[in-house]
Amino acid sequence: MKMRFATRAFLWSFIPFALLLAGSFWAIQQRVQNTVRSGLRSSLREAHMSMAHLRQESELQNNRFLRIVAENPSLKAGLQLLLINPKSGAARLTLEDQLREIAETLRFDFMLVSNSDGAPLAGVVRIDNQLVAMDIKRMKPPQQGFFTLGESTYQVNSFPIDINDENIGDLSIGEHFDLSEFSTPAILAKNGEILRSSVPTASRAELESALRNCGDEAECETRVAGETYLTLAADTINFGNGYTLRSLQSLDSVNGPVQSVLRQAFLIASLGALFAAAALSFFSSRSIVQPIAAVVSSLRQSEETGTLPSFQGNPSSIHEIRELIESFARAAAAVRESRENLQQAYVEFVGSLAGALDARDDYTAGHSRRVSEYSCVIAETLNIAGTDLEVIRVGALLHDIGKIGVLDSVLRKPSKLTSDEMALVQQHPSIGRRILEGVRGFQAYLPIVELHHENWDGTGYPLRLSDTKVPLCARIVHVADAYDAMTSARPYRLALGHDTAMRELKRFAGIQFDPEVVRALVNADQSGKLLRNTRDAGPSLRLVSVPRATGEAS
Amino acid sequence: MFGRALSSVLLILTLGPFLRAGDIEGTIVIQRKLTKRKVTSSTDPYQRGPAVELGSDQEQDPLAFERSHVVIYLEGNFPSDGMTTAELNQQNRRFSPDLVVVPAGSTVSFPNLDPIFHNVFSLSKAKSFDLGNYPKDHTRIVKFSKAGIVFVDCHLHPNMSAVIVVTPNRWSTKADESGHFMLPDVRPGTYTVVAWHKSAGFFRKTVRVTNTGTDPVEFTIPLSEDGAVQQARK
Repeated sequence: MKMRFATRAFLWSFIPFALLLAGSFWAIQQRVQNTVRSGLRSSLREAHMSMAHLRQESELQNNRFLRIVAENPSLKAGLQLLLINPKSGAARLTLEDQLREIAETLRFDFMLVSNSDGAPLAGVVRIDNQLVAMDIKRMKPPQQGFFTLGESTYQVNSFPIDINDENIGDLSIGEHFDLSEFSTPAILAKNGEILRSSVPTASRAELESALRNCGDEAECETRVAGETYLTLAADTINFGNGYTLRSLQSLDSVNGPVQSVLRQAFLIASLGALFAAAALSFFSSRSIVQPIAAVVSSLRQSEETGTLPSFQGNPSSIHEIRELIESFARAAAAVRESRENLQQAYVEFVGSLAGALDARDDYTAGHSRRVSEYSCVIAETLNIAGTDLEVIRVGALLHDIGKIGVLDSVLRKPSKLTSDEMALVQQHPSIGRRILEGVRGFQAYLPIVELHHENWDGTGYPLRLSDTKVPLCARIVHVADAYDAMTSARPYRLALGHDTAMRELKRFAGIQFDPEVVRALVNADQSGKLLRNTRDAGPSLRLVSVPRATGEAS
Repeated sequence: MFGRALSSVLLILTLGPFLRAGDIEGTIVIQRKLTKRKVTSSTDPYQRGPAVELGSDQEQDPLAFERSHVVIYLEGNFPSDGMTTAELNQQNRRFSPDLVVVPAGSTVSFPNLDPIFHNVFSLSKAKSFDLGNYPKDHTRIVKFSKAGIVFVDCHLHPNMSAVIVVTPNRWSTKADESGHFMLPDVRPGTYTVVAWHKSAGFFRKTVRVTNTGTDPVEFTIPLSEDGAVQQARK
């Protein structure tokens, strides 16, 4: 997969960072949640315990009070009456009436008197707010615990009825069992079947199945209707007969607000942290990539310009980057140097080739070198410098390379050339072009080689281009070539003098030669540059050579 | 009711010729409620609803109830042949009537009209008795030979209570609801008229009876708040 280095650096720093942050936030949140949860659970348990304790206490208080009821002398008298006349319906009625009286006065919902063997004798129970006599032959109410009759459940306690330290029976007193007196939602079940429930959100069937998971555990966490409940058995009261009383508290409803606050806080914190991580990653990746990007962009620029980059003055505070730049600069310098060497070698090779070519004929010996020197003088006078000057220098050296393809017999012919021979000679710019075309790095010299015989008025060869359609470099070399040809001896004429040559050039300025270039040569001559430079150029410079007949410049 | 009617008949029979001359007439004035009572609605005596404060019972004027529960009699053991019989029923877990006035030497029967047992007894100084448990349609008879206030209760039903006022002679009566009373056929002389109320106690006034007539007697009950009630139980 192709990816930008900046993206890669960003992702590699951001993703692990983000994962680490998200993971640790998640873990912390879980931990905090669990802590909160267990704290809530224990506080619930404590509340439950204190409630149970209070309840136990009130139960005790209540029992003390109910014991007084069992000491009611009238009731004792009634019980005695019934014990003496066990078959008497009136006696039972009397006792029932007494119980009803007491139950009415003290608002009991259930009263039962049984004999000392525990067999029920008479009882009343409140049904639909009416106290009715119990059918004791059919009902088997317990002495203690819960007792269900129809839709109503009663919580029953029993107290002995004693006369003269002799137990003559028991009085059971019961009240409607109401879960509303519990501060928490609660359920009353008998053998796993829910009898009463004050859990508002769940049906009895749901509660039954949820509590089945709890079994006999006193404390149990179970899920009811999608909510988590903590249920605690109220084991401080002795129930018996399979009755269980449990309080249920929704942990979620207690936990919910706390959790949502926590979640919000953690969400904000983690988003902030992620944002910070993203920003940090962005900046760090940027700081890594930026120097590299600078290097890359300068490389790309060098690719476009074709020159080798130089990194002088590219400051980077990063050690590795600096090292990279330095080593790259060293490599680039080495490459540049070797390329320059190669170029130099080429040029020298070509120069010596041209020299060798010149040497085929005594008359043209040193011609290429001289033309190159004169061209450079003219170019410098025209304020040409740098690469362009170098192109002119080398191009002038090579300008007659095409003569390699012209027969010696033609070249060295002492007499006037025929028109066919002239045509052959006039092919040398095109030949030169063909030779150099295939050499890489010589493209710059092609115009000079091809066009140094084009005239200002368009009468030259091979393309018959006129005035500025011919590149300046070629026009310069044209003038320099003519000058050297005139001041050199030819087999068919003697060398013309400097002044004559200059005069000739001036005469043909604007016809054969670019007047600007000629003026530059004249200026160079007047300021002495031409002679000095050419004189300095070496011993091979011969202004006056073997006298020959005048002829056209080659 | 029966006892009172009977005594009136007897009085008329024995003391007829002197009726106009020696009647003691008077009124009982009661300005405020003396007894706090509870009334229970008794649609079915064995399936009653919750108790209701008397104040909400508009049928009977509470002061009329108080006035009709004042006993008036003459103090002193005058020879008299006023022995009567009276009945104190046990009905709907109450004594009915709850106040009986009989001269000393009378007998009172206690028939049980309820389907449940009652056990009537008294621990009063004038007469103490315990009639034991007895069911419906059974009765017991007690003779009261000594004057005094006899409080009657039921062992099985502590709420049941009645008073039998045994007077020393046959000149005794209850005021009617308006507070009016009359003791007919009193020989001329000076007497102490006693008014008794269960809560307020005894009130005494001296009355001179002449052939020409007698000034009306007026009792204002109670005279004082304290003391009277304690006195009543003696």
